[in-house]
Formats: sequence, C-alpha cells, structure tokens
Amino acid sequence: MSELVPNLVPLHRDAVETIDAIHHGQVDAVVVIKGVEGPQVVMLEGADKPYHVLVERMSEGAITVGPDGRILYVNERLSELTGHPVEYFIHRDLATLFDAAAPSLIPDESVETNLLRSGKAPLPVKAWAHHISIGDAPGTLVTLTDLSIYRRAEEIASAERFARSILEQATNAIIVLGADGHITHASAIAQDLAEGPALGRTFSEAFPLAPDTENVGITEHLSEKGLDRLLVTKPFHRAEVKLRSERLSKRTFLLSAGPLLDNKNLTVGSVITLTEITEIKRAEEQQKTISAELNHRVKNLLTVVQSLAVQTARWSDSPEKFKIAFIGRLNALAAGHDALMQTSWAGVYLNELLARVLAPFSSWGDERIRASGPEVLLPVDAVVPLSMAFHELSTNSLKYGALSIAGGQVDIRWQLLDADEQELELIWQERGGPKVKEARTSGFGTTLIDRILTRDLDANVEIHFDPHGLRFAVKFRVLRVIASPYT
Amino acid sequence: MNHLDTYNLRLYVAGQTPKSMAAIVNLKKICEQHLSGRYDIELIDLLKNPALAQRHQIVAIPTLIRQLPEPLKRIIGDLSNLEKVLVGLDIQPM
Repeated sequence: MSELVPNLVPLHRDAVETIDAIHHGQVDAVVVIKGVEGPQVVMLEGADKPYHVLVERMSEGAITVGPDGRILYVNERLSELTGHPVEYFIHRDLATLFDAAAPSLIPDESVETNLLRSGKAPLPVKAWAHHISIGDAPGTLVTLTDLSIYRRAEEIASAERFARSILEQATNAIIVLGADGHITHASAIAQDLAEGPALGRTFSEAFPLAPDTENVGITEHLSEKGLDRLLVTKPFHRAEVKLRSERLSKRTFLLSAGPLLDNKNLTVGSVITLTEITEIKRAEEQQKTISAELNHRVKNLLTVVQSLAVQTARWSDSPEKFKIAFIGRLNALAAGHDALMQTSWAGVYLNELLARVLAPFSSWGDERIRASGPEVLLPVDAVVPLSMAFHELSTNSLKYGALSIAGGQVDIRWQLLDADEQELELIWQERGGPKVKEARTSGFGTTLIDRILTRDLDANVEIHFDPHGLRFAVKFRVLRVIASPYT
Repeated sequence: MNHLDTYNLRLYVAGQTPKSMAAIVNLKKICEQHLSGRYDIELIDLLKNPALAQRHQIVAIPTLIRQLPEPLKRIIGDLSNLEKVLVGLDIQPM
C-alpha cells in the first residue's frame, strides 16, 4: 500500500488542479470516456457561447489574429468565401490571405481589398479591424464583408432603375407578368388603362377585354383564365383587342406578349404590350372612304370631259376654236379640282375659287373685276360647277362683254340670304361693255352654265341680257358659313 | 536541470474555443519571453482526433504538457496566470 501512495499524489494533484481550472473558468472543454467509443470532447458552454454562435452564423467572414499577426481563429463563413477549410487558416500570416493590400489592422478603420480564393478569382471585400484581448494578450478581430454581393445589388438596382425609366417613358402600355401570371410592373400608360390598381392582379382582372372584340385572332375563343395562362406561356403578336371599360370603348389596341428572360436566359414571366391603334384604324377607314369617293369622282369627271368635248365640238366652227375653247374648259375643271385637292376635299372658300379661276384673265386683281361678300366655305359639290360657270362667264365677257373693251367692268357680289345663313346668292354684273345682243343666248357657254348649276347644285339660275351689261344671278344652299366678312 | 535544455511542449486544444485560442497566444508569448530559441510547441486538436487524449490522460482542455525536459509536467487552463505557468514549467524568470 505504501508503494502506491507516491503514485497517487500526482494524480490527486492533477484532479484538484482540473477541478480548480474548471471552477475558475480556465477550461472550456473536457474529455470524457464513452465506453467503446473511447475519449470524446465535451464543450463546457459559458456566457460567451451566444457570441460564438453569432460569429459562426454571421454573413461576414471573421478572423482573430494574435499579437504576432498570425491567425488564431476563423469562422465558417470565411471558409465558405474562400473555399478553404478552417484548418487551412490557423497559424497563417493574415497578409497571405489577400492579393493586394492586407488590412491595415488600424482599429475601426476599413479597407477594400481582394480575398484570395481556392480555384476562383479573388473576391472583393471590405475589411474592418477591431482590437480585442485574448486572455491577457492583445489581439485583433478582422471582419470581411463580401462586396460582390453589394456590387451585384447595385447592378441589379441600376438595371431596375434603367428598366423602370423605360417603362415610365414608353408611349405604349407595357405590363410585366411574373411566372404566376400576376402583374409585377406596369408603365404609366398601362396604369391609366387599368381598371383600378394593376400590380398584383392578373392581366384579365386589370385589363378586361370587351366581349364583342372583333378580329381578335388568338384570343378569340379564350376564357379570361385561358388568356392569362396563354400570356405567360406562349408569345404572340398583334392581336387586335378592345378593352371592356366604358371610357375606353372607342379605342382599339394591339395586344402582344413575349417571354421575360433572366440573366441565365430562363423564362421568369412575360412582357405584354398594348399598342393603341385607334388613330391608325380611323385613318384606314378614312383612306377607304377617300378611295371610294375618288373612284366615283374620276368616273364622273371622265363623263364631264367627254360631254365637254362633244358639246364644245358641236359649237365650234373650226378645229382651232375647238382647241382653245376645250382647253379653257378643261383648265377650269382642273382649277376646281386643284382647289379641292389642296383642302383634302373639305370644301373651298368662294373668294379662293374666284381667284384661281379668274387668275388667267389679266383683269383679275385690278379694278376691272371686283369681288366682295362674306367669307363662305363652298360645299365640295359646288366647287367644280361654279369653277366651270365662272370660266364661261369670264370667257364670254372677254369675247363679247365688259372685259372685251377698255373701261368695261365686272362686279361680283354675294351674300347669305336666310336667317340661318344656309342659302347663298351670287350676282355677276357687267358694266361699261358693248351693248349686249340677244344672239349670245345661243352660245354653249350660257347653256353649260344653266345646265350644270341647275343639275349639280339644284341652283336657281337667272341670266339677264340687259343691253347695258350682262347680269348673272345664282342661288344655292351652302353647308356651313364662317362669319368673318371678306371684301 | 540545465538552463539550456530545449523545452518540448505539447498543447492540447479543442478546435477554436476561446480558451484554446487564449492558451495558444499566452504560451507563445511566454515562450518568446522566457525560452527564446529553446522551445518546440506541438498543437494537438482533440476535436479532430479525441483518441490522442489517452496518451497523456487529458481531462480538461486546454492542457499543456511539458514532455522535455523530464519529468513530465502538466498545466491545465488558458495559461493566463504567468506565475503559475513559470512555476509549473520550472522556468526561472529571466
């Protein structure tokens, strides 16, 4: 027994020392023997345990550096950032972790640098240093923030701003659907077209289509749910639609859909556009009307030209006279058409028509031909007949009437007669010419005037062969009147 | 014991626990100050290989074992008490 005692003393001393160390918090793990498994390490969790968990789980890399600049501790996050196991770092020089400037380790200052990684390009990081005590020795805690996350976030935010500015300034309605078919973005125009707030709803909820939509192509036989499903699964273009909303019922749109791709080219939703084509449709309709009208007018014109040629030939006693008379009449016809063309067949002002037809006659613009009356917009149907009539009157006057001799004058006056100013009376009065002979009544010109005005304008025409000068009076209805006077 | 003997030290730690880290830092500091050029430290991480605890019958972590010069000495704790470490390792203060 006495031989055993000396051996027990150091064992006893070790046991006391162990208990004392645990009691004074100098150890944080013990080794226990677990049957066949052998020794196992059991951690003694102290007050610093929560901080340890926090450091292990935080999103920054954490490094504890001893006074000699060598690494004592790193957290799991640093291992993830670099691709190296935790053991790789222990006892390494901190500076060897970076491809450029190592953190200065000046307390509470930060530096941007690049962290070396296993098999990958260096990672941009921001490093902060903070002095701590490790037991009695000074140490430094270094935390590393992955800047690539922030830079990526900045890029995403920048791309988002860019896309949003396009959305806001687009003249078409642009709607972005997520993969679940709900609206994630809508341009300002789209918001205006939506029935209530657009975001978070399906396309059909925010933009219900009119059930009587004509010529809708791909959407023709689809229910609202079917359309919503189609919009996120199949690209299509230019389906003509109308929206159900009362306030938009007169407007027509083209509906198009295309996939929304992410940076890996995967479909993550769809982009819908509603392009308004109301004006285009209106222009197309107008174009059709104009074409039909033009066709009709050309046929009429050819009939008139044919009739003019036949009648002029009948009343001309030589080819030369026929040529002069026929060309003059064709020019009058052309002048009327030119005037209509310039106003897109919207009507011609009476004074403008007179100026066009009478311009070839040298007396127009001087004191020999005077025109006065209120400003009147002639209806389209009145322009060509009046143009022809003014031509015949002035040609006759130049040959036989007031304009055939010096000192003769033509006075053209017009006025609106009835209370609602729908009837126009125009008087062509010649003065100072040779004495008028009845023989002029047999001319084709006066016949033409009488016929075309009576037939085409339903006008009341009177021609007086007053010996002192011819007087021509015509009355017919005009479509509308502009009040400002013309003199 | 010759003052020029080389100290062969073995420090048993458990991963990166605060006491283990403190023990590493404190041991290095003491060795540099009092055994400059005459020491050799071997770190044993029992978290990676617990079976190594048996050789020196390690119970608490951290534990420092002086293997050389003999006799074998044992100090338990984070080595923050300088006087206790110097006495435990038989190091004469310089």
